[in-house]
Amino acid sequence: MKRKGARSLAFFVCLAAIAPTVQGCGEAPDGKIEVEIVQYKPEAANYFKTVEEAFNASHDDIHLTISSPNDAMAILKTRFIREDYPDIIGIGGDINYSYFVDADILADISGYAGMQDVNEGYLDIAEALELVPVDGTYILPYAANAAGILYNREMFEAHGWQIPETWEELTALCDEIAAEGILPFYFGFKDIWTCLAPWNAMAVELAPSDATKQVNKGLTTFTKEYGELSEKYLALLPYGPDDPFAYSYNDACTAFARGESAMYPIGSYAAPQILSVNPDLKIDSFVMPASDAADGRTLNSGIDLGFCVTAACENKEAAYEVLDFLYADENLQKYIDAQTSVPCKKGTFELSTLLEGMSEFIAGGNMTDYQDHYYPSEMSVDALLQTFLIEQDKDAFLKNFDTSWQRYNRDIIRMVQEYEAAQKSAE
Amino acid sequence: MSKHENERKRTFLLITIPILALFICFNTIPLIRGAMYSFTNSRGFGSHDWVGLRNYIDLFSDARVGKSYWFTIKLALVTTVVVNVLSLILALGLNSKIRAKGFFRGAYFLPNILGSLVVGYIFNYFFTYIVPALADMTGITSLSSSILSSPGKAWIGVMIVCAWQAIAMNTIIYISGLQTVPEDVYEAGGLDGATGWKQFKHLTFPLIIPFFSINMVLCVKNFLMVFDQIIALTKGGPAQSTESISYLIYNNGMSGGQFGFQSANAVVFFIVIVVISVAQMKFSSSKEEQL
Amino acid sequence: MKKTSTVGKSNRTVMVLLILGLSTIIFPLYMTVVIAFKQPSEMTNSISGILSLPKVWSLNNFKEAMEVTDFWNSLKNSLVISVLTVGLSILIHSLMGYTLGRNKSSKFYRFVYLFIVSGMFVPFAILMMPLAKQTAEMGLANWFGVILLYVVFYMPMNIMLYSGYLTNIPLALEEAARVDGASTWRTYWEIIFPIMKPMHATVAVITALAVWNDVMTPLIIMAGSSENTLPLAQLNFQSQFGTNYNLAFASYLLSLIPILVFYVICQKQILNGVVNGAVK
Repeated sequence: MKRKGARSLAFFVCLAAIAPTVQGCGEAPDGKIEVEIVQYKPEAANYFKTVEEAFNASHDDIHLTISSPNDAMAILKTRFIREDYPDIIGIGGDINYSYFVDADILADISGYAGMQDVNEGYLDIAEALELVPVDGTYILPYAANAAGILYNREMFEAHGWQIPETWEELTALCDEIAAEGILPFYFGFKDIWTCLAPWNAMAVELAPSDATKQVNKGLTTFTKEYGELSEKYLALLPYGPDDPFAYSYNDACTAFARGESAMYPIGSYAAPQILSVNPDLKIDSFVMPASDAADGRTLNSGIDLGFCVTAACENKEAAYEVLDFLYADENLQKYIDAQTSVPCKKGTFELSTLLEGMSEFIAGGNMTDYQDHYYPSEMSVDALLQTFLIEQDKDAFLKNFDTSWQRYNRDIIRMVQEYEAAQKSAE
Repeated sequence: MSKHENERKRTFLLITIPILALFICFNTIPLIRGAMYSFTNSRGFGSHDWVGLRNYIDLFSDARVGKSYWFTIKLALVTTVVVNVLSLILALGLNSKIRAKGFFRGAYFLPNILGSLVVGYIFNYFFTYIVPALADMTGITSLSSSILSSPGKAWIGVMIVCAWQAIAMNTIIYISGLQTVPEDVYEAGGLDGATGWKQFKHLTFPLIIPFFSINMVLCVKNFLMVFDQIIALTKGGPAQSTESISYLIYNNGMSGGQFGFQSANAVVFFIVIVVISVAQMKFSSSKEEQL
Repeated sequence: MKKTSTVGKSNRTVMVLLILGLSTIIFPLYMTVVIAFKQPSEMTNSISGILSLPKVWSLNNFKEAMEVTDFWNSLKNSLVISVLTVGLSILIHSLMGYTLGRNKSSKFYRFVYLFIVSGMFVPFAILMMPLAKQTAEMGLANWFGVILLYVVFYMPMNIMLYSGYLTNIPLALEEAARVDGASTWRTYWEIIFPIMKPMHATVAVITALAVWNDVMTPLIIMAGSSENTLPLAQLNFQSQFGTNYNLAFASYLLSLIPILVFYVICQKQILNGVVNGAVK
């Protein structure tokens, strides 16, 4: 017994001995300052790889590592729990950003010189994302995306269809397209998140941009704010495929790429997937008209990628130097070319032809953030929307929206109201 | 003899202690630490407040959670029955004297190894395009639209895929169970004229009951904890009809900001499955003793 | 081997049924292979389009998939983790399964059995955060930690399998050895452990498969390290806004081969069960 026991004990000791040697691999080389970025857009991994190489080739005091993992949010959250913070994180301007600011994970970077070059519109959007107003700036908006309606340009030209500017024109156009035996829209509602695309695109015009904040303050309800929006969303359904809940995002992209529909209400981010199926397709876009006033239109655009320095970052100067490099015009241009996105920096950039129909809004700074950037993901508004589109019961949907909102945002609402009360008593 | 008994007892204890310690260290302790979060409003990171039993009280009034339990339990029960019947038949077939046994065994194992991205894509395609086309051709109107897009029927699609993937593993367990059935049992049975169903019922099945109960427990557990197939096929849709409990816990707790609440859900869920499974094991061990 | 006419007849029926059942596997496999060889521009939503053969049979997708996933390196990591997990599982779990399976009359061991088996039902999501923290504190946020966690995660199931298997192995075998004066420990390794070979093979297959395909554990535990396992690397093919199914499918086909080979090898062991002989 002893002999055998000793043998297997030796085995475990060996295993335990190998472990640390393997662990010690990724050490920082030769005393350079290590800067680590984790960014959440795996589709931009190639771009960031070239940036990383270019940066390291031109800097001998700083060594930069950029990782673009899939499911970066899960990775970031586990690393936060371990208190193993990357120096810079690249995330979107959505509710996660709000949470990170609230959790004091991010550093105030208002002192960073590059902040001067940011398009004010996006700084306002970033500020609005804070759950309760806080001093300072916590994100360097990098690139934005825009959502509206993508259309098949050749098809439109061949039939002489005009770009609609009001809701009435849009429905008239759809009727006209349908009359020619062509499907006006494709939807991929099987992937629930796509239900948010038309919703967001119409909400910027039909609902106040701070609707969620007003609800948190107890000033209004979603039943009031989202009524027209819900009706109009339902009105779009007949212009799509018979059973839109059967098709995934991928199916819808493929169908639109193959000319099975004239339009696809989705964001600019869908372009690479569509073009992978049909590289010759000429896609253009226009802003979703949702009301009867052409000048009421506003572009649905939000921060798709921004960089935040973590509070734990030891060497802010090095981090700023990395940000400078990322924010250089030629690098940003490469990013927006690769991702068909909109730069958040002031100055002249060459936009993708895909965004032509939206360019005047971008140039004029006429843009409003996605409503869903304020929705907590656990409330699954996308799933609520899918349910609504299937059951088509507006009143039940809005009632559910209001009750769910109160339930899922209880702690935030309390925080907001405490803040408001404190503000009042200070006055 | 008593010296032997003591030696035997000591050896067993010496084996048990380190392994149990390892298990407690990486399963029980993290479970307890995780369960602590269920009394907080934690988002998984940052600071949190203690909220007492609020999460548990909420849990019992949350319609979405209730719906997910109903869906998950329904799915688990039906799939367990389907999988066990089919894999038992398959194991018997693969264990009989047939040609190309190795090939068949290899082939039937494949569903288990295809990654969930592949399985999701293929079955989505199958349900969205192929089944409706076949239904149109044969005139079965009830199948002419994708079952995954119907809130009432989507669970059947999930069930089919779960069963398709799980049969392989259960079959392996049944096959290895069939190896413990001594040949002479059949020979003796053959003399009495026991063949086919009778032979199975009176000779084979009683001997593989331990494996049957293992498979039942594993199936119930696997399907109650169904997650990958949901992600691959429906992501909880349509109309939140296929949100499994594990999906909710992960999606809202890990990806979303409901970590504390979903920890409470996980604790309750854990207790529910333990109760179900222990009852199951008690039941089948009493069956074993009867035989 | 007796060959009677009844056996032959029922075998033919079995064959026919098995072949029919095979169609549920051939079809998805066919789709996987075809898609793995196609280009994204060949993807359509029409049935004839998706079932058609690729225009060119080229291995480019496989080559590219291997580059994207850093195939050999990821494969090495996956292999190391799987092999060590399986090895440790067989040694540790069989020992524990034996201990618990042979002490069913003792209250203490019955409790330990239920205690460990109920660990199987802990939803992974609740363990994730504490484990991420704990492994980091213990310096185990690496592949060794992942292996250790796997050994713990699959312990309940494997112990169940082993102790179930033991019910059909007569105690008489051990008692005979004991009369010869062998210790329990030696009896186990020399008599019981070899007898459980079919179960080892079964455990090996089930554990290897679970480990091979697992994404979550390495994702959470090794987060932030540059090392990838195959399933982790394969995540690169999918993102919310676009999935390259062609590359992904090629990659999945590649990663399927090692585990399939392993299964075929183990399958032989499951069959070569020595129990029959031993019992007679």
